[in-house]
Amino acid sequence: MNKEPNKTYWKSLAERDGCIDASEIGPHQTWPAAFSRRQFLEAAGFTLSLATLSGCGRAPEVTALPFTVQPEGMIPGRSQIYASTCAGCPAACGLLVGVRDGRPLKMEGMPEHPLSRGGLCAIGQALPLALYDSHRLKQPLANRKAASWEDVDAAIARQLSDIKNSGGAVRFVTSTVTSPTLQATIDAFLAQYEDAKHVTFDAISCSAILESHEKTHGARVLPHYQLDQADVIVSFGADFLGTWISPVEFTAAWQTRRAPTEKHPEMSYHVQLEGRLSLTGANADRRYRLSPAEYGSVLSHLAVKLSKLAEQASPTGTLGASPIAEHDLDELAEQLWHAGGASVVLCDSQDVPVQVLVNFINHLLGSYGNTVDIERPSRQRQGDDAEVLELVEELKAGQVAALFVAGTDLTHNLPDREALAAGIGKAQLVVSFAEREDDFASLAHFVCPDHHPFESWMDAEPIAGLVSLSQPTIAPLGGTRSILESLASWTGNRDSAYAILHAHWRAHILPRVASQPFQTFWDKAVHDGFVETNVSTPGVGEFHSDAVALVDAGPIGDDFTLSLYSKIGLTDSRHAHNPWLQELPDPTTKVTWDNYVCVSPATAEKLSLADGDLVRVETSEGHNHVELPALVQAGQHDRVVAVALGYGVRGTDRFADIGPKWLEGRATVAPGELVGKNAASFIEARDGAFQYAVGGVRLTKIGGRRDLASTQQHHTLEVPRNVAPHGAEVRDIIQETRLSEFAEDSHAGTPHVHAHGDKQLWPEDHPKTGHAWGMVVDLNKCTGCSACLIACQAENNVPVVGKDEVRRAREMHWIRIDRYYSGDDDDLGVAHQPMMCHHCDHAPCETVCPVLATVHGDEGLNEQAYNRCVGTRYCANNCPYKVRRFNWFKYEREDALQSLVLNPDVTVRTRGVMEKCSMCVQRIEEGKIAARQRGEPVVDGDIQTACQQSCPAQAIVFGDMNDPASKVHGALADPRRYRVLEEFNFRPSVAYLRVVKNRGAAEGGERASQTS
Amino acid sequence: MQQRVITVVLLIGLCFGLMTLGAGMSSWRLPDNEQGYAPKQPIDYSHRLHAGELGIDCMFCHSAADKSRHAGIPSSDVCMKCHQVVTSSYEVLQEEMIAADKEKRKPQQIVSDELRKLYDTLALDATLQPREGATPEPIAWIRVHNLPDHVHFDHRAHVAAGITCQKCHGPVESMQRVEQFESLTMGWCVNCHRESTKTGINGRAVVAKTDCAVCHY
Repeated sequence: MNKEPNKTYWKSLAERDGCIDASEIGPHQTWPAAFSRRQFLEAAGFTLSLATLSGCGRAPEVTALPFTVQPEGMIPGRSQIYASTCAGCPAACGLLVGVRDGRPLKMEGMPEHPLSRGGLCAIGQALPLALYDSHRLKQPLANRKAASWEDVDAAIARQLSDIKNSGGAVRFVTSTVTSPTLQATIDAFLAQYEDAKHVTFDAISCSAILESHEKTHGARVLPHYQLDQADVIVSFGADFLGTWISPVEFTAAWQTRRAPTEKHPEMSYHVQLEGRLSLTGANADRRYRLSPAEYGSVLSHLAVKLSKLAEQASPTGTLGASPIAEHDLDELAEQLWHAGGASVVLCDSQDVPVQVLVNFINHLLGSYGNTVDIERPSRQRQGDDAEVLELVEELKAGQVAALFVAGTDLTHNLPDREALAAGIGKAQLVVSFAEREDDFASLAHFVCPDHHPFESWMDAEPIAGLVSLSQPTIAPLGGTRSILESLASWTGNRDSAYAILHAHWRAHILPRVASQPFQTFWDKAVHDGFVETNVSTPGVGEFHSDAVALVDAGPIGDDFTLSLYSKIGLTDSRHAHNPWLQELPDPTTKVTWDNYVCVSPATAEKLSLADGDLVRVETSEGHNHVELPALVQAGQHDRVVAVALGYGVRGTDRFADIGPKWLEGRATVAPGELVGKNAASFIEARDGAFQYAVGGVRLTKIGGRRDLASTQQHHTLEVPRNVAPHGAEVRDIIQETRLSEFAEDSHAGTPHVHAHGDKQLWPEDHPKTGHAWGMVVDLNKCTGCSACLIACQAENNVPVVGKDEVRRAREMHWIRIDRYYSGDDDDLGVAHQPMMCHHCDHAPCETVCPVLATVHGDEGLNEQAYNRCVGTRYCANNCPYKVRRFNWFKYEREDALQSLVLNPDVTVRTRGVMEKCSMCVQRIEEGKIAARQRGEPVVDGDIQTACQQSCPAQAIVFGDMNDPASKVHGALADPRRYRVLEEFNFRPSVAYLRVVKNRGAAEGGERASQTS
Repeated sequence: MQQRVITVVLLIGLCFGLMTLGAGMSSWRLPDNEQGYAPKQPIDYSHRLHAGELGIDCMFCHSAADKSRHAGIPSSDVCMKCHQVVTSSYEVLQEEMIAADKEKRKPQQIVSDELRKLYDTLALDATLQPREGATPEPIAWIRVHNLPDHVHFDHRAHVAAGITCQKCHGPVESMQRVEQFESLTMGWCVNCHRESTKTGINGRAVVAKTDCAVCHY
């Protein structure tokens, strides 16, 4: 009972005297003692129990919508596979588009395709994410405002008829067009105008190779290199396994010669001479550091030596000093000459005289017709830099009336943007076909957005005589229009893209094959995705040696040469809006979400640079400069700095919001910044070609830092030296041998350590009488290209976490590629090792899980039950391979549209749950069910993991280890087979095949030790 | 005074809680157990009539059960295979026939209320002609059997193993409105997997695994 207190307390006189208004006391004091702690708990407990009871009610209603009319052949829940062509770059690899319930979801390589042979790169795998991008334009723009197609068409038609009457110049700029139909449509459109020209501009151009063939063979062609025919490959800077021309095709061909067996211990000999460490250099047998400015000198020396061997007159010209040792040159010339026509010299130089020398050497060796095919040339790079330069001059002089740009961001990828933009401003009509408002589109009067490649019909002819189709797999998500339809409608033709393509194939492609009814031919082409046709030879003549002359660049000075390169996954600017590709760790530097200045360790020491220190790169005249963080790169030439192109793309500030928001979280993109910086202003136009190696560059440390989000030291398998037990300081994670040693003893390279006997910590309680799933990765074939990483991300709904989380070692990729260096900078050895869950029979993660969320299946899989996991993370601590990933946050997709990319076969994990590679258990289950339905056992090769399927090098073999006829069973018996950390007796289900390097005559050095 | 107010409020809350719970007390269940769930559907479709009395095979309409994870809900055009002819119940149609015969006129087209809803989804009128200005809209069925997102159930495997539909769905052929017959909880699934492995299905030995990754991935 409330008793009147016998004493009153007061805080102020006013309070005592009752002068304080009740409202001033504050609401929390209006119910003073009435609501006691006990009562609060009673009420709370009561509420809680009511809430729990109401949880026993019904789940919310869910509707299930059937079709009104079910399309023929469509079964809800089943993927339909369409043959198509990848449009990620002009390489035009074969593509199988998996469409699930109307959504293109999973891209796979087409095994029957003669070029890509079943492989697909990271870009191809990431295409669906670009499709479900809500930042793509949904309607045409007129003067940067949304407009209707009718208005835009009418306005463009009006302008065009003006230009037609006045005879103004019409210029149509595209990146390489491999599509015969698009080419014909552009030609038909331009034929209406008196002064019209189609200009091909490649952001990363190979025009010097085309020009050099014009000089030596009388035809402007790009050879089709056939690396599977090559015993000896000598590449000057050409990153053919990474980004050069057609990397998937080249990797697929290159790997065929990289598998020495016990019976045939033979493999190709691959020498790389380059300034920066490219992916191709990382996989070479012998790598020389050579500045791009020195390619000419070395090639001249080689040309002279080979002429001598061929008993021919050497090319004219002076011969300077050789940047590499004489005996190395002799060895190189000897190797090439010995292989003869089965050798090839590749070069990415944009100097025409240097490329002419390359042609001369390939001609001397007899490579034309063997490894270098110009009868059926490649059409994957058509860029004509001289014409682009001419166009730029025309624009600046205001001589262009109408400018159309498709497939490339002209102003982003060309130097001297401001002058160019001013020139574009002088044109009467500027039209862009960009799918989003990129830099050029922001200057255009009209933007007529093209479909995403999955939304429209198109074709491609990457190699003369190989014509492939790409077909729509989803109705357009926005109000975009195929470029074929846009051009046709401006030519006075209202046909659909399908009708245009159909008509072109009937008129022009059908006559190129043996006579057959068109419908049969067309149906087969749509089904197969490609047709092989006859070609008319492009008028390639005999070799003319007139143009051949030695090149003497002279000694390189103290200034740096800037090497502008394109990164795997991003190439030029066109994929910069794809967060999967932005978060893909660069195979060499392991950096995500940024570009940077690669400097050699010696240079870094001289300028006292560490990773992340801001440096300024500027041309000697100081016109151009860019400030970027430095990255110390092993194996880089001391006088070369390298910066990636394709960064600083307009609109990439959208990624500011990517990743989780929390107290200490930092934005992926700082306010007012973009992802990386654009270095295209450094591109130099010299001798009618764009030079990506620019001499006379200064490098200065400017103070300040920008942390790079590098995964290099994350999840390391190394044990810190100071705590390692004696004898185990260096773990044999990578095992390597040399071809000569391998030929003598196929087990060469096995370390002599750690006999653990038969002592078992764990009981033998995994009988595995049925299937036993296992995987073998051939490290000699794996190039580190990271296609598997994106394939896994797409298949398994792996989220994007953003730059800050990557910096905190919280990237979520289920498969990572560990990169190890060995040797010194002059002869750097690099090994790539894909690392995923090893599904150990004696899995240390399983024994520590307190809730049995990770347990062993009886088919050898280490299973993770997400709904049981409580997130103790003990398993990740105990995992020797460091492959477990913890969901620190609920990683949201950007918006509802982006969620369409999710694979319904795989659970989307929530916050606080551990996850890791499941060996694509959803595919295993699918394969087993399909086999059970057929009433047959599972056939080897029917079940493929996502990483295995996409691997361009076919380095990953997966299958049933209990099936003696399976490929994986065979691979396990390979003498090169080893297991990582075998000494701990975890009995992993994943094994590797040892690296074998073909060291040619230079063999005999001591075995390199690995350092990470 | 205020204490009394709280007590009264809480007591009223308790009454309300018990009243709401009381209504479903007969089908009291643990959270996530939806046994006995029989929501009202947009069309009063009777499985008892179609599958029971008329004896139409389950797979005639749920044709993907042996081809896909999902058995599939028939699209409206599947219904129309019969219902472009059968527009109402037999009794009603016969009455009209007799009446028309008596009155010496042509029998009228009679469409039952429920079938009218079906025709609406296809934007058809009572004479099965396309309706002006209408677009086809799918029928928004209320999902009865709905497993959590972290469970992957595949109809194919079970149909191939010879499990009858009724084993999980109950005697659908006698249900006027479909309800969830079994609990479909993990324990229920695992029990059946264990039993089947022990006893086989229809005299055929089967291996129904109980590994986590059979359903959870």
